[in-house]
Amino acid sequence: MDIIISNSSGIPIYEQIKEQIKDKIINNELVSGELLPSIRSLARDLRCSVITTKNAYEELEKEGYVKTIPAKGTYVNNINVELIREEQLKKVESLLEKVVNIATINKIKKKEIMDILNILFEEEK
Amino acid sequence: MNALEIKNLNKKYEGFELKNVSFTVEEGTVMGLIGENGAGKTTIIKAILNILTNYKGEILIFEADNKKNLNIYEDVGVVLDDMFFPEILYVKDINSIMKDIFTKWDSKLFFQYLEMFKLPLNKQIKTLSKGMRKKLEIITALAHHPKLLILDEPTTGIDPIARSEVIDLFRNFMQDEKCSILLSSHITTDLEHIADYITFIDKGEVVLADSCPLLMDNYGIVKCNEKEFQKIAKDDYLKYKKNKYDYEVLISNKKEFKKKYDIKIIDNITLEELMVLMIKGGK
Amino acid sequence: MIGLIKKDILVLKSNFKILIPIFVIYIFMAFQGMLDISTLLSFLSVMLMMSTFSYDNLNKWDAYAVTLPNGRKNLVKAKYLATVIVILLTSLVATIVSFIITINKGENINYQYIFITLGATIFATFLFQALMYPIIFKFGLEKARLILFILIFGLIFLGGFLINKIDFSFLAAVIDYFSNFIVLILLGLGLLVLIGSYIVSVNIYLKKEF
Repeated sequence: MDIIISNSSGIPIYEQIKEQIKDKIINNELVSGELLPSIRSLARDLRCSVITTKNAYEELEKEGYVKTIPAKGTYVNNINVELIREEQLKKVESLLEKVVNIATINKIKKKEIMDILNILFEEEK
Repeated sequence: MNALEIKNLNKKYEGFELKNVSFTVEEGTVMGLIGENGAGKTTIIKAILNILTNYKGEILIFEADNKKNLNIYEDVGVVLDDMFFPEILYVKDINSIMKDIFTKWDSKLFFQYLEMFKLPLNKQIKTLSKGMRKKLEIITALAHHPKLLILDEPTTGIDPIARSEVIDLFRNFMQDEKCSILLSSHITTDLEHIADYITFIDKGEVVLADSCPLLMDNYGIVKCNEKEFQKIAKDDYLKYKKNKYDYEVLISNKKEFKKKYDIKIIDNITLEELMVLMIKGGK
Repeated sequence: MIGLIKKDILVLKSNFKILIPIFVIYIFMAFQGMLDISTLLSFLSVMLMMSTFSYDNLNKWDAYAVTLPNGRKNLVKAKYLATVIVILLTSLVATIVSFIITINKGENINYQYIFITLGATIFATFLFQALMYPIIFKFGLEKARLILFILIFGLIFLGGFLINKIDFSFLAAVIDYFSNFIVLILLGLGLLVLIGSYIVSVNIYLKKEF
C-alpha cells in the first residue's frame, strides 16, 4: 500500500492520510474487512506523530469507511455503493464549481463549457 | 492514565525563576518541551528526576509522588545532557553495573542495541565520538524496558544521520501504547515529526501548550506590507515582527484568517519560526 | 547498591594501568626502607578513593546516579563500602609486602609489630576518609581539596605543638595495657567513626542539588 505524504503541501497531514486511505477503499484496493495498520506502526512508518494517524482514523470512522474494534484494530467497513457515489458526486460538484467560477470571471459562456465537456466525454469513450 | 503530571512547579535560582509550570504527559504520547537555552527546560527535567531537592510543587510519575516513591524510577529511562557514567569505564562495564541497579535490566537487549549501532564493547567511553556517546546513553536508557523516557536534548551535537537513527529508536519505543516520552530539544525539527504535544517554555514559564499537529496545521505566518498589517485586528494575531522590507505576523487560525482578510501570503509554520516569533515578536 | 560498589571497583580497575607505576615506586621505596609500609597503605587507599571521586565529578556521575532507582542513601553507602573494601585490599597487599621485606632482610617476623602498625594505619586512614567524605559531599571535590589541605597542615602544626607541651608517654602505657586487643580496638573505633561520618554524609547528600 502506498501512502505518500507531503510536508509542504499546506494540506494537514491527517487529511492527506485520510484521503489516500479513502481513495484506496473506494477503488477497492482496500477491501471490506481488511485490517489496517495500527495507528502506532503507521505513525512510525510515515514518520509523523501518533496523534496525527489517530486523527485520520477517527475521521475515517466518522465518515463510515472504517471501524475500530478496541484492542483488535481498525478494519475497512462494508461500505455501500450509494455512499461512494455520493462522495464522488460531491467531488465532481466541487470541481465544477471551480470551472463555473473561472468561467464567470473570464466571461466564458455556458455553451462553450458544455462543448468542451461533450468533447471530453467523447474522448473518454 | 497519566505517565507524568507536573503541578505548579516553582524553583528560584539567582537570576532565574521557574514560575508555576504545569503540564501533563498522557500515557502513550510524546511531549516535546521547547524553548531557548536557559528557558528552564533542564531545570524542569532535573526536578522530575530528583536531581533537584528543593522546589515547590507536585510531580507525579505514574500517578505516584516522585519524592516518596523511588520505585517508580525502575520504569523511567533517562538521557541527560553531559551527565553519565565516568568516561574511564568501558562500554561493557555499563552492563555489569546496571544489571545490579535495575531489576528489569535486559543484558541481551543492551548488547543487541550495541551491535545494531556498531558501538564497541571493549572501548572506554572517553574514546567514543560525541554521536556514539549519545547513542550509548540512549541505549542505556532503553535497556531496562522503561515505560517513560525522559530525554534532555537527546539529539544535540550529533550529525543528521545519527539523529535520524535515534529518532527511529524513539518511534519504535512508542509502538507500545503504554510507553510515553518527555523530550526537550532546541532542535525543533526533530520534534515536528514525532511529538504529539508541545509545551513551550520561555523565561521559566509555559507560554504555549497545544497538540503539535494541530499547531502545525492551524498556525501560520502572514507576510505583508505595513498597510496590510495596519488592517489586521489585534485579536486576530499573536505576535508580529517588523523587518526591513516586510512584516511577519504569527496567527493561530489560518482558515479563519483567510476568510477575513485579503492577504496573499500565509505560510505554514515550523516550530522554529514559532519559537522565534513568540520570543522576539511584539504585540 | 552492589552495582554502585561495582562501579567504583571498575573505575579503579580501568585506572589500574596509570596506578601500576606509582604502586611499583611505593613498593620499591618500602623495600629501600625509605617509606614505611603503613604509609604506603594509607597513601594508596586515599589516593584510589580520591580518584573515584574525581572521575565521578568529571562526568557528573552523581547527577545521573540520583535518577536511578537506587536512591541517594545507597549512593553514599556504596561509596563508604567501596572505601572499606579498598582499604582491606590495600591492607592485604601491605601485609604481604611487609612480610616479604622482613624475610628478605633475614629477620624474624614480628607479627605483633606488623599487626599493630597495620591496625594503627587502618585506623588513621578511616579517620581521614571519615573527615574527608562529608566535606567532599558538601563542598564538591575542588573546594574539598583546598579545605583538606588547610586542615592537614593545621593538624600537623597542632600535633607538633602538642608533642612539645604534653607528655605522651602515658600512651605507651595504654598500648601496653591493651597490647593484645589494641588492633581490634583501633579497628572498631575507626569503623565507628566511619559510620558516624556516613550518617553525616547521608544527611548532606539527601538535600544536595546537582
